Amino acid sequence: MSLHRSALLLALSLGTSSALAQHASDGEWTMPSKDYSASRFSGLAQITPATVKSLHPVWTFSTGTLGGHEGQPLVVNNTMYVVTPYPNVLYAFDLTKDGYPLKWKYRPPVDPNSLGIACCDAVNRGAVYADGKIVYNLLDGHTVAIDAATGKQLWMTKIADLAQGETTPMAPFIVKDRVLVGASGGEFGILGWVKGLDLATGTIVWTATNIGPDSLVLAKAGTFKAFYDKGAQLGQTTWPTDTWKHGGAPVWGWMSYDPELDLVYYGVGNPGPYNADQRMGDNKWTASVLARHPGDGSLVWAYQFTPHDSWDFDAAAEMVLVDLTVKGKARKALVHFDKNGFAYTMDRATGEVILAEPYVHVNWASKIDLATGRPVLNDAKATGASKGNVKDICPTLEGGKSPASPVAYSPVTKLFYASTNSMCMDYAAVQTAHLAGTPFMGINSPYHATDPQMGAFIAWDASTGKRAWEIKEKFPVWSGSLATRGNVVFYGTLDGWFKAANATTGAVLWRFKVGSGVVGDPITFIGADGKQYVAIYAGIGGDWLLLSGDYRSDDPADVRDPADFARDLARHTSQGGIVWIFAL
Amino acid sequence: MRLSSPQLPAALLILAASASACREQSAAPAASATRSAENSLVISRHDDRVFAGGLMPPAERVVNSEIHNAKAAEEGATLFTSMNCDGCHGGGAVGAVGPSLTDGRWRYGGADADIFRSIAEGRPKGMPSFGGALQPAMIWRLVAYIKSLPPPKDVPTESW
Repeated sequence: MSLHRSALLLALSLGTSSALAQHASDGEWTMPSKDYSASRFSGLAQITPATVKSLHPVWTFSTGTLGGHEGQPLVVNNTMYVVTPYPNVLYAFDLTKDGYPLKWKYRPPVDPNSLGIACCDAVNRGAVYADGKIVYNLLDGHTVAIDAATGKQLWMTKIADLAQGETTPMAPFIVKDRVLVGASGGEFGILGWVKGLDLATGTIVWTATNIGPDSLVLAKAGTFKAFYDKGAQLGQTTWPTDTWKHGGAPVWGWMSYDPELDLVYYGVGNPGPYNADQRMGDNKWTASVLARHPGDGSLVWAYQFTPHDSWDFDAAAEMVLVDLTVKGKARKALVHFDKNGFAYTMDRATGEVILAEPYVHVNWASKIDLATGRPVLNDAKATGASKGNVKDICPTLEGGKSPASPVAYSPVTKLFYASTNSMCMDYAAVQTAHLAGTPFMGINSPYHATDPQMGAFIAWDASTGKRAWEIKEKFPVWSGSLATRGNVVFYGTLDGWFKAANATTGAVLWRFKVGSGVVGDPITFIGADGKQYVAIYAGIGGDWLLLSGDYRSDDPADVRDPADFARDLARHTSQGGIVWIFAL
Repeated sequence: MRLSSPQLPAALLILAASASACREQSAAPAASATRSAENSLVISRHDDRVFAGGLMPPAERVVNSEIHNAKAAEEGATLFTSMNCDGCHGGGAVGAVGPSLTDGRWRYGGADADIFRSIAEGRPKGMPSFGGALQPAMIWRLVAYIKSLPPPKDVPTESW
């Protein structure tokens, strides 16, 4: 254990010298995205294209819950930590003992009202480890810190208000002594924010909204400078009157951090309501990336991917920090796969867009104008109550890639690995009124497939904006990705296959049927025996199942007619959470 | 779950209050309400419950104040959208994050009185209480709309 700890300290000290250094040793998985740069890349190399064929399950655990199992376990000090969907039980497994028995479990009180306020199933995207604590969010608007050794609750802080439509499925992000958290509720008319908590006590140190006046957004003169957008009070003046007060702007994805610039990056979700006619203007900073100093929350730069978002194109997806050579020039880049179908390679110091290319079929915009940073719109695909039912918009409001399905980046192949969907939607917006505690949407938007194979797992070159390869899948792909130095990448499918592919060629090398559809994110670690293991959650759910399933994701008694685009899905999967561990 | 037994009398009181409100509103056609038994509601008694000792609890007959409103279901459909019900239950109440209201299966009972209570008082898994935002007559119109929805399409067996 002391060996592990010193390795961790060494890694932490290295982490301050380079944004791309490992935050923790490759034997462990201490934060959702593996490291500060959100790479989901592990330096482990025992599992290779040559050895992966002998991968087999060595351990499983039923979580006893039925909601969507997004997120990933953590592995720290030979202990695996698993957070379930609501009711957000935290399990700690002893990886040094036969059968990995429980060390302890923590069962918090979680308000069941959160089940109805959470827009998109009762998911939880995981915990983060720091300073001997496991920190995670309960669905009902609380952040908790648990002693990683004993399971005792150290603090619990109320961060969000269910009565205002706020829920908290996202994984917290920890930089030094600051715990960063955000709230979901883009479908409930929230006023979206991030908060910085003190790691030791849980005290809320600062709150920064994503929309509204500069005083709330923490955009200070002299500190804040957007690359494209000039002027002050943009979070207020780009909205009609006070509509920003219920303008959404949730935060529910994955954060990243550059220690040299001391900047935390996160994506902001959709504006509300979905009926864009009720909020004419750009609606900044919804559907945007924000860069803040974690210590005091001050905003340094911001960029809006989708101004006046009229398609629910949340920008909640991860911002992966990598050093790339683009157009012959070395860049400190930020790479982001937006719901809107474009993959952006940006300068992470300034917010300049270096290149932006569609990674799936896109028809709402023809391209991103690099001079202005704005999409060149296809007027025929603009939506709003005045425009009636607008047909065949691509991609759908689920995104060309879901923010819930984070990418991985391999410095070996210099490729990104992403779960994508080939689908389009109709979008009929209607006038809607804000009523606290109820949805604020105004939309009917069925999807349809544009390809009989609705999903693909792709490899993407962010230096050129081109696909290297793709693996087609029958259903939309909704899992996270894992890349390894062994040159094997991992992902899962909605019909319940967990797959390994050659990172260079995209050849599928191995697969295993894990009992339920995969919407979680694979991880890898070194066990107490020195061997490399791979872990993944099975447990279909999340937004996809609410919209396509033939039952409510956590209630088999609540039966439905499945959506037209995925009538066959129920033939291949059923609900139920399982933690899987595989080894050679 | 949160409706522990000490709270139960309070819930019944609320119900009695809304029941009397409905009775007042439907004072004129009282005779026809008595005649049309299937449209009369038994608020505190449910035929689909298990009765302790085999004994039915005392019943109070309450009339849906909207039973003579031919447009009740249509007006309820408008309310279903304007009160954001469809945001959770889906357009046509086919189910989304909230339960389907068309599958013939009910978490909290499918009698008109049960649906009235669910809307007026809310339910502990996130169903908001609309009793402060809607008059009883409007809630009855929502009940009429939900009850007018087409019968469930699902069957016990699905085969491929």
